[in-house]
Amino acid sequence: MMRLLALLLMTGPVWAEDVMPSIVAPPAEGSVSTADGLAAWDRVQQVVSHPRCANCHVGPDHLPMWSGPEYPEPRPHGMAISGGDSRMGVETLPCATCHITASTLESDPRQAPNAMIPWQLPPVEMAWFGLDGPALCRQLRDPDLNGGRDWVELAEHLRDDASHGGFVAWGFAPGGGREPAPFGLQAHIDDVLKWGAAGQPCPE
Amino acid sequence: MGTHLHLVRCGRLRQIARMQLIVNGNSHDLDADPQMPLLWALRDLLGLTGTKYGCGIAQCGACTVHMDGMAVRACQIRLADVAGEITTIEGLGTPDDPHPVQAAWIEQQVAQCGYCQSGQIMQAASLLALNADPSDADIDRAMSGNLCRCATYPRIRAAIRSASVRIGAA
Amino acid sequence: MSRAGRIARRGFLIGSVAVAGGVAFGAWRYTRPLADPFAGTDAGALNPYVLIDADGVTLVAPRADKGQGARWLQAALIAEELDIDPATARIVPGPVSATYYNRALIADFMPFAPTDTGWLAETARDAADIPARLLGWQMTGGSSSTADGFDKLRQAGAVARETLKQAAALRHGLDRADLDTADGAVILPDGTRIPYPDLARDAAALEPVTQIVLRDRSQWRWLGKPMARTDVIAKSTGTQVYGIDLSLPDMLHATVRMAPWGGSVARLDPVAAEGLPGVLRVLPITGGVAVLARDTWSAMRAVQALDVAFAAPDTTGDQDAIWAALAATHDAGDIDSRKRDDGDVDAVIGAGDVTAEYRVPFLAHAPLEPMNATVLVTDDACTIWAGTQVPDFAVARAAALTGLPETAIRLENQMIGGSFGRRLEIDFIAQAVEIAMAVPGRPVKLTWSREEDFAHDQPRPAQIARVRGRATDQGVQALDLTVASPSVIASWFGRVSSAPPGPDASITTGAWDQPFAIPNFRVTGLRAPESVPVSSWRSVGASSNGFFFGTAMDEMFAAAGIDPMEGLIGLCSHDPSRAVLEGLRDLSGWTGRDAGQGRGRGVAFCLSFGVPCAQVVEVEQTPQGIRITQAFAVADVGIVLDPVNALAQLSGGMLFGLGHAMNCELTYRGHRPDQTNFHAYEGMRMRQTPQVTVRLLENGPLRGLGEPGVPPAAAALGNAIFAATGQRLRDLPFARGVRFA
Repeated sequence: MMRLLALLLMTGPVWAEDVMPSIVAPPAEGSVSTADGLAAWDRVQQVVSHPRCANCHVGPDHLPMWSGPEYPEPRPHGMAISGGDSRMGVETLPCATCHITASTLESDPRQAPNAMIPWQLPPVEMAWFGLDGPALCRQLRDPDLNGGRDWVELAEHLRDDASHGGFVAWGFAPGGGREPAPFGLQAHIDDVLKWGAAGQPCPE
Repeated sequence: MGTHLHLVRCGRLRQIARMQLIVNGNSHDLDADPQMPLLWALRDLLGLTGTKYGCGIAQCGACTVHMDGMAVRACQIRLADVAGEITTIEGLGTPDDPHPVQAAWIEQQVAQCGYCQSGQIMQAASLLALNADPSDADIDRAMSGNLCRCATYPRIRAAIRSASVRIGAA
Repeated sequence: MSRAGRIARRGFLIGSVAVAGGVAFGAWRYTRPLADPFAGTDAGALNPYVLIDADGVTLVAPRADKGQGARWLQAALIAEELDIDPATARIVPGPVSATYYNRALIADFMPFAPTDTGWLAETARDAADIPARLLGWQMTGGSSSTADGFDKLRQAGAVARETLKQAAALRHGLDRADLDTADGAVILPDGTRIPYPDLARDAAALEPVTQIVLRDRSQWRWLGKPMARTDVIAKSTGTQVYGIDLSLPDMLHATVRMAPWGGSVARLDPVAAEGLPGVLRVLPITGGVAVLARDTWSAMRAVQALDVAFAAPDTTGDQDAIWAALAATHDAGDIDSRKRDDGDVDAVIGAGDVTAEYRVPFLAHAPLEPMNATVLVTDDACTIWAGTQVPDFAVARAAALTGLPETAIRLENQMIGGSFGRRLEIDFIAQAVEIAMAVPGRPVKLTWSREEDFAHDQPRPAQIARVRGRATDQGVQALDLTVASPSVIASWFGRVSSAPPGPDASITTGAWDQPFAIPNFRVTGLRAPESVPVSSWRSVGASSNGFFFGTAMDEMFAAAGIDPMEGLIGLCSHDPSRAVLEGLRDLSGWTGRDAGQGRGRGVAFCLSFGVPCAQVVEVEQTPQGIRITQAFAVADVGIVLDPVNALAQLSGGMLFGLGHAMNCELTYRGHRPDQTNFHAYEGMRMRQTPQVTVRLLENGPLRGLGEPGVPPAAAALGNAIFAATGQRLRDLPFARGVRFA
């Protein structure tokens, strides 16, 4: 057993299985109508603006938010926690001090949200907390603001993150009685692809 | 990582498992539920009661310990997720040989009821390990997750500044 | 063999008793009428303060220490006269040695004995949390027992010292007057040191020397000077043992899940919880359910998994109904007390004068150490290990529950991780006794979850105050303040003993007793119905009345265009209080409400527990909201016995008041608060802590400082926000009205 343990340690995080399996099956580009693409976008928007996703997609103040059904109105994360320039809090108080890197997505209501990768804010250019639908849409299709991804790569990013228990997986399975992002991972990936195949149309 | 580790990724099993935990340099073999938060293993199984229970939900910081030198809330870590050597307040220093942060706490006479101070000290020691000369804003930011109901904060600030000098001079 | 001698001046007795290997010095039955102390006495009748045996010197500090430094200060008072560095002595919280333990001692530790009030009032910082009414304090009159306890501990030390000297004198054929003492030893004229433990047996055989003169302050070596408390070392190294840290052989762990206040268990299926690992037993107890387990976490997990339903509570436990009941109490106007009625407010106040309504919320004590108690019940005895301010009530309750005589109940008080009044309650101790009775012979440690603590705190009551006032450019002419509140005293006494009849003066304490010469000044208390149980919260009635009075005064000064600092100073009718205000004016560099650079300042004053305390708070508006930049406090405690700690108490009290004023309330639904943990009850944290400057004055009588820092804070903050923004906030917490950075 010790050999196995040592091996686990030396190889760093090990995901024994695909934590949240999904497939990326892009429709042919242009095979989806603009109307269907907009309908898909509408569902994508419901996902990405959901508190499970949006609360950490914050701007250069690096202050994550608390919003959602548990809160009467959006408010900054308790204790005025800041992710700092590192977006991981390492300058002062690391996110991972409370948001423990876990071996499973399961969590208890008394646990701060945790994922299977170190907790952190997304890059600052991906800030979208509080944006309305059209602005959010334009941001997500802009490679300068979405991590340099085309529409297929966006879907692949979702799949890959979820497969190793990252924040996408957490958003759909936040545990602890928290409300998950809607529709589920596979539906979300499919919607991103539909929207993409339709040319990433954005509402006015 | 070193040779220490701790068990067994069997987090989904609600049963007792044999685990190895390294705390304050000592190795412990524990038979415990892998779901048990580290806090309660320290307190109830290992008798290390300097680490305190205050809220159980990462809102007070009284249970702060170090995992490979970084402050973590022991109420938040399941035994199955412990991934490094643990240091508690008892391992940071002793009354006869206090850590510079503890010495500064004593010098500044920070404690009132004292119940939060183990966590405050562990958080401050972690901050100073990351940043040996923190600004006032850094201190406020790093320490705002540690609740002191007696509100000893002005002396905590002073003690961290004092410890920063002590560590810098060492 | 026990001996006593009379300290005539105070009419109490200091005596000695032989104990195994040594001698104990203490007060004889001092809570009782002073009949012949030798009639029927035994060793147990002595309440020991000093124990000297082969192991060294032990100083007994019977008053509970919950963070106010009482344990150390009690020891220092003894040590000052005993001539021993308190840091070198063992300091214990009470009679833990069976050698001289008995029931009479426990009775002596009960803090509310009438003759004992001076002790609490005058010595240490132990005044915290005790309703003024119970202590019989006359806020404006000065207590007849002033300095009683302050003297008593020093006298115990002095009697011990002189008796030890007498023992040495007899042994060496010398005159006691030629001997000296220092650092725990008698010094002979030739310089020979005889450590006290070497003299203990001899001293036990002597009549105690009671012809003693307490040292003048100028001779003090420790008192009044910066001292380094030894418990700070323990608390900085994780070695301080609190009640929650106790571990006994074969100990079981327990936690509880209780019905909402006044409710009961309607249905309980223990199967799911009992099936969890580590769980030993699900146990119905009065008003709820307990789980016994092998460790705390297993018990806590199991109570969450319990299949339990509680009987639906009635709607009087809803916050809206509670506010409505308070408003209705005002409208009905049935007077509970009217402790001040100067001049004729009705004749002076008219249309166009200041009229306002203030609201304060329920507040949780939420000390950081959750409620806990460890209990062992056997066939003929019950031992309790718990941090409590009311050991005598706990013992009485344990006796009632177990059917054992009180003499069979032993309570060992523990170092307390905060209280703010919470440990005036004995609910958690009673639960632990009930649970332990189910497993006789095995000790059980009950630990509450934080969620249980919020759900079953007995909070500071929500209150509504209505105020009318008149101020002209000649100053404040009239103030008519009426406060509606449930009675903390009736509620608390009803739980721990039996409720006393008569009005509850604490409803207006901190308002009616304020030392200001307002020509027409009326303060009326109205007793509202009790919805949820309420209790004393750090500074009790003054916690809210300090806000009502301090805000009302500021409103009137503002209406009349009077500087509030000058206005308060001008009206003040009590010299030490005026000195406090003048000291604060100078300390803060007061130049008015406008502090420049967009900053506003507020001032407030409250005389509580005999301590005048005034505070200035400065705020600024930032894009993120209001930020407190600076806070100043000045108080007068008569004699500053432990200056390092006293300044910390004043600073901490003020910040405690500010944190709750900004951020904290409990709102009830079905007798259960919406706030379940600290995420919804932030209090003060480092990020919102201003720069703090505090100063102590010594013009008044000797008083404690655990509470008086709290009452002015909320008003000073609200007045500062008014100064900075023009917005007058009349409801607490202020976060309901403004955003804080």
